[in-house]
Amino acid sequence: MSRTKFISLLRRNSMLIILMVLYVIVATTAQGFFSINNQLNILRNIAVPGMIAFGMALVIIVGEIDLSVGSMVAVSACLTAWIVEKLAGNAFEPAAWTVIAAFAGTLLFAASVGFLSGKLRQLVNVPTFITSLAMMATLAGLANLITNGVPISSFPSWYYVIGSGRFWGIPVPVYLLAIAFVITFTIANFTALGRSIYAVGGNMEAARLSGINVWRTKTICLMTTSVFAATGGIIYSSLVNAGNPTIARGLELEVISAVIIGGISLFGSKGTIWGAFIGVLFLGVLLNAMTLWGFNPYVQQVIKGGLILGAVFINFFIDRR
Amino acid sequence: MTNLILDQLTRHYGSVKALDGFTHEFAAGQVHALIGKNGSGKSTFVKMMSGAIQPTSGSIGIGNAKIVFSNPREAQRAGIATVYQELSLVPELSVEENIFLGRLPEKRTGLVDWAELRRTTANLFEEIGGLDIAPNTRVADLSVGQQQMVEIVKAMSFRPKVLQLDEPTSALAQAEVRQLFTLVRRLRDLGVTIIYITHRLSELDQIADTVTAIRDGKFVDSVPIKDAGASVILDMMFGDLPPLERPVHTITRDEPVLSARHLALAPHFEDVSFDLYPGEVLGIAGMLGSGRTELLHCLFGALLPDQGEIAVNGQVVTRPDIRTMKALGIGYTSEDRKHSGLVQLLSSHANLCLAGLGRIAPKGWISHTSERPFVDLQIAGLHIKAGDPMLPVSSLSGGNQQKIVVGNWMNNAPEILLFDEPARGVDVQAKRQIYELIWEKAREGLSSIVVSTELEDLTECCDRILVLRDGHIAEDFINEGLDTKDIYAACMAVSKNQPESDA
Repeated sequence: MSRTKFISLLRRNSMLIILMVLYVIVATTAQGFFSINNQLNILRNIAVPGMIAFGMALVIIVGEIDLSVGSMVAVSACLTAWIVEKLAGNAFEPAAWTVIAAFAGTLLFAASVGFLSGKLRQLVNVPTFITSLAMMATLAGLANLITNGVPISSFPSWYYVIGSGRFWGIPVPVYLLAIAFVITFTIANFTALGRSIYAVGGNMEAARLSGINVWRTKTICLMTTSVFAATGGIIYSSLVNAGNPTIARGLELEVISAVIIGGISLFGSKGTIWGAFIGVLFLGVLLNAMTLWGFNPYVQQVIKGGLILGAVFINFFIDRR
Repeated sequence: MTNLILDQLTRHYGSVKALDGFTHEFAAGQVHALIGKNGSGKSTFVKMMSGAIQPTSGSIGIGNAKIVFSNPREAQRAGIATVYQELSLVPELSVEENIFLGRLPEKRTGLVDWAELRRTTANLFEEIGGLDIAPNTRVADLSVGQQQMVEIVKAMSFRPKVLQLDEPTSALAQAEVRQLFTLVRRLRDLGVTIIYITHRLSELDQIADTVTAIRDGKFVDSVPIKDAGASVILDMMFGDLPPLERPVHTITRDEPVLSARHLALAPHFEDVSFDLYPGEVLGIAGMLGSGRTELLHCLFGALLPDQGEIAVNGQVVTRPDIRTMKALGIGYTSEDRKHSGLVQLLSSHANLCLAGLGRIAPKGWISHTSERPFVDLQIAGLHIKAGDPMLPVSSLSGGNQQKIVVGNWMNNAPEILLFDEPARGVDVQAKRQIYELIWEKAREGLSSIVVSTELEDLTECCDRILVLRDGHIAEDFINEGLDTKDIYAACMAVSKNQPESDA
């Protein structure tokens, strides 16, 4: 391998290298970090922000943003619990079909919200930064509205399996994360839709004049993210065994940070799903390590913020060569 | 004297020498046209002189003094001002505010001294011999040509000894070009050394005092304009170049592939009707602002006309939109590679596979492997010098980028291709290759419409030429030894009864 090729390889994988360095540092300084259990724990913790980050990556690559994912998680958790409650009535143990119906209803709701965001973007031509900010408030309000501000505990006794259960020793959310990865990775790399996403994000007018359906492309990305956020909401509702309107506050920040750390440009058309995964894992490992190191949670918050800046700087300098 | 003296100016990019020992003395008080095909090192030259990049070796001097600068501001201070092709004015600010942006005169209180600004601007205008623009006009209200002149005046406000103009006329209409030349000549007479970069060889006679050519990064020759005939210039730019002959091919004009009837789109045109026949290369001429691009957009379904009908192969299209038109075999290559023709961030590979996505991936599944044959086909067929097709398309020269725009559509196997300014900003050689491609495809049955500001290009390239004037098709010329002057006259009839501000 020639020297320039090697350097370009390093440059393209800079975040992966930084992640590996972090792994080594944490592994040598934090007790219990490398245990299988802790590693699985990290994966389970990043499952929800991770799958949303994959959707968010598509949204950002296509040139939009979705600030409402945190609220979407909350309202989805509540909606699932609410539907089960309504369908099960006074039954002590709600039937399985009520849960399935609740899932269907919640995912459908999320898809419609994503569709609405896309339509708003097309018809009113307001940046999604604004519409999703409005959506963030609306959905958070809706979560409080359907729960009256109090968690709804309506789930059957086996419901914990979705969030806390394991198959062959691996937490169920990790499987869902893997599925979300495969779906988005395939879209981005092996479909005409993926090509359209990059083209639209890079130059909307050129894409339009090439006969690409710009709005459909954007809407699909927004819908994908909404549905992943709703899936995340379902996982959280299982983890806390209730539809709690206060969960996932500020999750959008974590998700967007991960995506940026993963090298996806907020200007669109640049970045990969793999990068988003690296970003999410980086954030997950760091949070886990800081807990193991016994850092004060407020300090953790500050570091999380500084990290975004750091990642932006690194990507800036890499881009500048 | 304050001649501009360049000595062994060299710039490497890795192992590539973009500029290679450029040595020449540019005399003060003259307009020096700098010509060279795409990739000849011209833009490296401009960037280096403007301070955007630094020479690897060699020196720049004004008169006897060597000057050194490491960024555009220092270059300006050292006496070299550059006006780029792309305008960098703030549209919402006035002309005078733009000229003195960042250095507005202030009163003691720290507030802007508007009276002083007005005075300074008036002095500046007077010094350069007057300008037909009110200094308090909002820049957004000016025509492109006027904005270009404001850019030049702004550059002059730094009192440069050397003024670089990078393709200042590429977006201007004829009348505006004349005004710009008047201004440039006045600056020349003030003793400024003017480096004038252009692709429009037809302009040289009117504006240049000397013609200097650059080829493969090297200084070729510099000749006085009176000795610079067309053949001399082409020789300097390209070495040897065979003459271009439009091949004769017979066109049966009975069943049109594309018909427009009474198309109207306010405020551009009101009644446009014409037919395009199989294998025909049809040119549409018209002054800037005559609505040529909008007409193509209507035919392509990118704009909905107010009125009128479009028929493809005899079938009237009821609701023309891009997808319908694309399905009917129509393609459109944009005049503006940067903003609407290409996705600059993406690779050449990706840009060649946008319009043809549906054809390359009929079931929606795609991979680099399945795209590869389509990419290779166009790179070979269009002689695209792309190096590594996975690199961003922005790294290619203008001519090669234009070929990518065309290749993108070729991958959708079009039957009708609408070319909007296919030769804009590309050199003579690339232009010829694009014309040869259009002819080759025409022989295979592709029907084309070509729109160009350069009327010579139309007479060179097209079988038939329509003149768009006063909102309708005013003339219809079959191009058999047609004289460009006739088309020019047919186009110009417009300026008698239409105000120029339309442009």
